[in-house]
Amino acid sequence: MNAGTVLEAQRQRLSGPQYRHPPRRRSELGMIVLVLVLTGGLYALSSLGRAGSLPANIGPFLGLVFALMLVAHLSLRWLAPQADPVLLPMAALLNGTGYVFIARLDHAQASAQATWTLIGVLAFVATLAVFRHANYLERYRYTVALAGIALLVMPLAPHIGEDINGARLWARLGPVSFQPGEFAKIALAIFFASVLAERADLLATGTRRVGRWLVLEPRYLAPLIVAWGLSLLVLLAENDLGSSFLFFALFVGLLWVATGRWAYLGLGAGLFAAGAVFALDVVHHAQTRVQAWLDPWPHFATTGYQIIEGLFALAGGGMWGLGPGQGNPQVIPEASTDFIFATIGEELGLVGATALLIAYLVIVGSGLRAAVRSHRSFSKLLATGLSLLMGVQVFVVVGGITRLIPLTGITLPFVSYGGSSLVSNYILLAILARISDDNAQELELAATAGTEAGPPQPAATGVVRTWAT
Amino acid sequence: MNSRVRAVGAGVALLFVALFAQLNYLQVFHAQALDHNPLNTRYVVEEFEQPRGAIISADGATLAQSVPSKDQYKYQRVYPLGALFGQVTGYFSFTYGTDGLEDEYNSLLTKSSTPLQVPTDLSQLKQFFTTQPADDDLHITMLASLQRLAATQLAGRPGAVVALQPKTGAVLAMYSNPSYDPNALASHDQAKVEAAWQQLQKAPGQPLVAAAYRQRFFPGSTFKIVTAAAVLDHRPRLATKYFPYSSGFTLPGTAGQVLHNFAGEACGGEMLQLFTVSCDTGFAQLGLGVGAANLANEALHFGWDQTPPLDLPGVAQSYFPPAASFRYDQAALAKSAIGQESVQATPLTMALDAAAIADGGVIMAPHLMASVTSSQGQVVARYRPKVWLRATTPATAAQMTKLMLSVVDSPDGTGVAARIPGIQVAGKTGTAQTGGPDIETWFVAFAPVPDPQIAVAVLVEDQPPANQYQGGTIAAPIAKAVIEQYLLGRASTGAAHRS
Repeated sequence: MNAGTVLEAQRQRLSGPQYRHPPRRRSELGMIVLVLVLTGGLYALSSLGRAGSLPANIGPFLGLVFALMLVAHLSLRWLAPQADPVLLPMAALLNGTGYVFIARLDHAQASAQATWTLIGVLAFVATLAVFRHANYLERYRYTVALAGIALLVMPLAPHIGEDINGARLWARLGPVSFQPGEFAKIALAIFFASVLAERADLLATGTRRVGRWLVLEPRYLAPLIVAWGLSLLVLLAENDLGSSFLFFALFVGLLWVATGRWAYLGLGAGLFAAGAVFALDVVHHAQTRVQAWLDPWPHFATTGYQIIEGLFALAGGGMWGLGPGQGNPQVIPEASTDFIFATIGEELGLVGATALLIAYLVIVGSGLRAAVRSHRSFSKLLATGLSLLMGVQVFVVVGGITRLIPLTGITLPFVSYGGSSLVSNYILLAILARISDDNAQELELAATAGTEAGPPQPAATGVVRTWAT
Repeated sequence: MNSRVRAVGAGVALLFVALFAQLNYLQVFHAQALDHNPLNTRYVVEEFEQPRGAIISADGATLAQSVPSKDQYKYQRVYPLGALFGQVTGYFSFTYGTDGLEDEYNSLLTKSSTPLQVPTDLSQLKQFFTTQPADDDLHITMLASLQRLAATQLAGRPGAVVALQPKTGAVLAMYSNPSYDPNALASHDQAKVEAAWQQLQKAPGQPLVAAAYRQRFFPGSTFKIVTAAAVLDHRPRLATKYFPYSSGFTLPGTAGQVLHNFAGEACGGEMLQLFTVSCDTGFAQLGLGVGAANLANEALHFGWDQTPPLDLPGVAQSYFPPAASFRYDQAALAKSAIGQESVQATPLTMALDAAAIADGGVIMAPHLMASVTSSQGQVVARYRPKVWLRATTPATAAQMTKLMLSVVDSPDGTGVAARIPGIQVAGKTGTAQTGGPDIETWFVAFAPVPDPQIAVAVLVEDQPPANQYQGGTIAAPIAKAVIEQYLLGRASTGAAHRS
């Protein structure tokens, strides 16, 4: 019997009227209320700190945030009742904090961000509704891959693409401008995960004999190499170094997780080094970025200005921060997008900045937990890939701002101003929720239906534990 | 595969640990260095967005205040009395930072001590979340009226007037020429500020380096106060030793180099007589008699070679050479005893030395701050007088008072010009050669004996070396005017500038 059909039947039974909602959703609702209190408090403090009065729209703000989160929460109850309960509250916390800081920096952007949050939550619900099981994603892998590559190429197309700040990342369709790369990363993660899930064994050991060596059959790797190479090429053409690195980390990471071959990590590191040297040689953009990273001080008036002001902001914040609304973020260029973390560090201090990092770690940890518990290679790899994307993206942004690594202009997930980033991350969140829900449903099936629909791998017995919520 | 998924988790966690470590470095360990980086203007900008507290004189004149401004910053710092208090208030400049009281009390002037109110409606909640605008005022001990008199009396001549309360160390007046107008440096017009700064840097007499407390001059005969006190403290018998009248004294260890008295006069007698007429030949011998070690020690006790704890930045030390330097150079000791050679004094030190005699041998720490008041007029902080040094014993101070009274009261005293009817003034004149063509004239004094309320040091620089330009004729009338105004509350009738 097809496992998917059984799951579907089971799900219908579980979500019937007689079914009591499990405590996972109740704790999620509790956390959402907590996040609402935190975000509302932060919003009030920020406005009091800056203007000395409560924000005029504090009532509608709280109402809207609660309504949006309630919609997302109820859709989880309906569509993925067993999903990990920390995902949505963490995203809400990050999104809310981001909105407060955007509102503090730029009013016009704040209302746009509110609209994008609405669209993001709808995308979250839609993703859950359309993909009732993670396997659905696997079926359309080549469609997804094509969509991903089309999205990547879009900014390069004449009339559609737009050049902003030296990078060609934007596409304009009608009235809407967006960054297709943000969506392409999810598409590529899905594609990589599905190909690797199918061919992990073939990629783990060589089958073709060359002299004394057994080497990999190239045709097994070809689709991956093509997709990856194309994406890197496109990104270099678009001058988006941060995303290039992100894709690279995704590709090499998944390859290693799927095959367990250390050689891939080594090869990846080597390729990355070569690519970096090449980029430094050829891409002027990269040279200035590395120069501004190694020693920004002589270039204070030019390329080093943004990073130095970011460092000053962080230093000014110190341990506890200057307080919401009391910093001087207006001196930092791109304070609401690429550099929003510097403003948060200034006003909320080391404590607030660390709290934000921990929120990301919770999302990444929850995603990886779903990966570990999943019995399907595809879901496992997809959850790993998406978690890795989230973690590495935060590292690249925050590392760039704190001068740990060269600065590349990518957004801080859920926090930075920007619709594409917000919507794509809500989709990513929905997929992680979907995978974690699948796992729990399968476990329940295994418990109720005995061996009939049990997990295919014997490893599952090792996974049966009490659910920590 | 699960172990590798966990390894990915560990890898991401490691990256985040690196971020956390770097944030700690930036926000805690390296934060101060970044805050004080000269490129970091965010705090300067912030300071210019806030009002600062006012600086107010003891007689109620506003010396510095912030007024709302319509240019790029919210407030403009203004100094209503301009150059009169420029070297005391200092400036608050975007380009050149702060100086004077603006620098010394920067944290206080940017503070508010108004207690938070219990909020009665929502809009009052803001006080808990915003930085209160600074509204604490700094009250200082100086009198604008006395300062104005000092400036009038100097009448544009380079020099300085420092007046103190001997019992508390409170500075009453401290003016020097040339001064500068801090309004020019506090302007928000960068080009104007830079031009004014360049001009002040090139100006003769270094207006930014206040002569009253940041420049040193040869003290001349006013140093005889320290020499005489050294004699009384260490070799009291010398005080009653009779020195025969002479117009010259052959310096020991030289090939017949002769030290002459001022204008070649002959003088002699016991120390009281030598002090009264400011006899150089006699005091050179007293200096040799008391010895280098004793003299250097006495100078140290009188605050030389130490920075007076005045609450202003950049206070200079007065200089007396170390005793060891006189070991093979007794001639230098003889000249140092009369305030020549390499001995140098700030007008502030000379005023403190007069105050030491006036206050029974005790030098109170000089200070400008009197109190800090909140916006509601409550006194938040008040200065408490502190002892800085014990220069000498009360007995020696009493003896010294007699010597200094004699300078003013004796018919042959050099300071007769400082006599005030009904008030006993004690003083000492000084006329120092500068090595150049001009001389410096001094007068230090305190009054009224026996209960001194004010100690004054007056310096007038760059006077032509003619007989009538002595400390007694140039500087003493200024000191007299200051004392008279302070004690009697009226302007001096005998104007100083009558040459």
